Amino acid sequence: MFEKILIANRGEIALRIHRACKEMGISTVAVHSTADADAMHVRLADESVCLGPAPAKDSYLSIPAIVSAATITGAEAVHPGYGFLSEEASFASILEEHGFTFIGPSAEHITLMGDKVAAKVAVAENGVPVVPGSLGALQTVADARKTAEEIGYPVLIKAAGGGGGRGMQIVRSAEEVEGAYRMARTEAKASFQNDTVYMEKFLEKPRHIEVQVFADGQGHAVHLGERDCSLQRRHQKVLEEARSPALNDAEREKIGKIAADAVRRIGYRNAGTIEFLYQDGEFYFIEMNTRLQVEHPVTEMITGIDMVREQIRVAAGLPLSFDQKEISFEGHAIECRITAEHPETFVPSPGRITDYHPPGGMSVRVDSGLYAGYNMPPHYDSLVAKLVVHGRNRNECLMRLRRSLEEFVIGGIETTIPLHAKIIENSDFLNGTYDIHWLERFVMGDIVDN
Amino acid sequence: MANKFDIDPELVKKLAELLGETGLTEIEFESSGKRIRVARPVVSASPADTISETPATSTAATNTGTATEHQKGTHIVSPMVGTIFLSPEPGAEPFIQVGDIISEGQTVMLIEAMKTYNPVRATVSGKVVQILVGDSTPVEFGEELLLVE
Repeated sequence: MFEKILIANRGEIALRIHRACKEMGISTVAVHSTADADAMHVRLADESVCLGPAPAKDSYLSIPAIVSAATITGAEAVHPGYGFLSEEASFASILEEHGFTFIGPSAEHITLMGDKVAAKVAVAENGVPVVPGSLGALQTVADARKTAEEIGYPVLIKAAGGGGGRGMQIVRSAEEVEGAYRMARTEAKASFQNDTVYMEKFLEKPRHIEVQVFADGQGHAVHLGERDCSLQRRHQKVLEEARSPALNDAEREKIGKIAADAVRRIGYRNAGTIEFLYQDGEFYFIEMNTRLQVEHPVTEMITGIDMVREQIRVAAGLPLSFDQKEISFEGHAIECRITAEHPETFVPSPGRITDYHPPGGMSVRVDSGLYAGYNMPPHYDSLVAKLVVHGRNRNECLMRLRRSLEEFVIGGIETTIPLHAKIIENSDFLNGTYDIHWLERFVMGDIVDN
Repeated sequence: MANKFDIDPELVKKLAELLGETGLTEIEFESSGKRIRVARPVVSASPADTISETPATSTAATNTGTATEHQKGTHIVSPMVGTIFLSPEPGAEPFIQVGDIISEGQTVMLIEAMKTYNPVRATVSGKVVQILVGDSTPVEFGEELLLVE
């Protein structure tokens, strides 16, 4: 086992990793920018190294600085956390070249999953359901009509060279195909100088459900159930829960097995998450994240498994410490991502924390680097705390979450605590009937609660 | 780099006494990855400044060593994380010595990062008052390397 690990991250996740290390008897090296000299991850670590100035590209994203820091401190392994360099294949390979262990998957798997087209092909070949669509460009109206019949309406005609919704047409019936096809090509030509279009099944009200997988690269792979992360704003997850209110045990077991089998077959190692859109009982692959996720504590709460500990063990060459039969899901857990933003306007609110009182009590976990007197620098992510609550069932969890949000005091800056308090009072949320568009509409005031 | 380890006050005291007895300006003691540097100013500060008369202590490479706080001048700091070398190659004469007059842009040390050697250039011109790091010392970004007056 490693004696010293360098944690190449900041904020709550750096603390999270530090805690797992200490519980394993491993020394920690924190790295930081000049703006983070007083940060909690620096204060708690056994050693710390200043990497560079405040901008992330000169500090947390500087591979030479981090490799040098590992060298001068004699660390044996590096945990990248999430964000920053966690999905940078070259970081993993450079570390290995310099004799350090990267706590994560191989550079090859990071590269594969980072290429969205190649990833889709790779997982589809290994039994993972993907969004059905045309195999290549649509050549004619007849071609478009035939493909639409095969995958079923509604469908989406999209510009191959596009993005941002331009050159995109929703088609709900056979009569609309011709007009939509011509419109999409014209728009695509005008916007991207390329009138190549293709077709995909259109999902109107999908949920975002992701499956946590873990593999040791030695032939063992398991799933740790799913997380429902449908509550998003601007493609950022806001609140996550496990298990998903939308799945039953049979569906859970089925998609979990598909995910675990796929990562075993591609020879994946360490933790990973396969993200799906889910609608009408069907799963459609979005992407695979080759790292620890922000919302991993939700899974830890219902499985009792310390995922960072397991990541470190697997990186050290040990086989998985559990098999699928030993994993069970107990009760319900919800995570609220609390960010330093105005709860209605979402204007960022960095600054000095005047008061800090995290909630406590049974089955309440707060992952945060905040403390009273801390000056939150404006250079980085606005996530300031993750409140994770567990209950024996969803109702108990929600009651506990409500009182935890009431207890939580973060003074001096604006936070999204009031938004979370509002979300969990809404009947759609209480009933578990929400999709990936629900929160945007809720924030805009378009959700009428009865 | 701020190593956190239990400081042995006895050891620090002993080293400080040794400093007085020998007339040395700096003693660095390293054992199993832990390093203690005891130093006192080379140039005495203002007469009223009694603190500068006693040896000051600082752990490893913390920048807050009281030894330097009472000195006038400008610090040249490390531009990156790495290992400092005081001479162009092992056994060669150091780039600079205390008392040298240096000019801005001049190479004063080397810093090794990821097996490449990068020059540390003087950011100010003046006289070298104190060299604050030893040869082959690990340093972090922004760490004070030398004092120039």
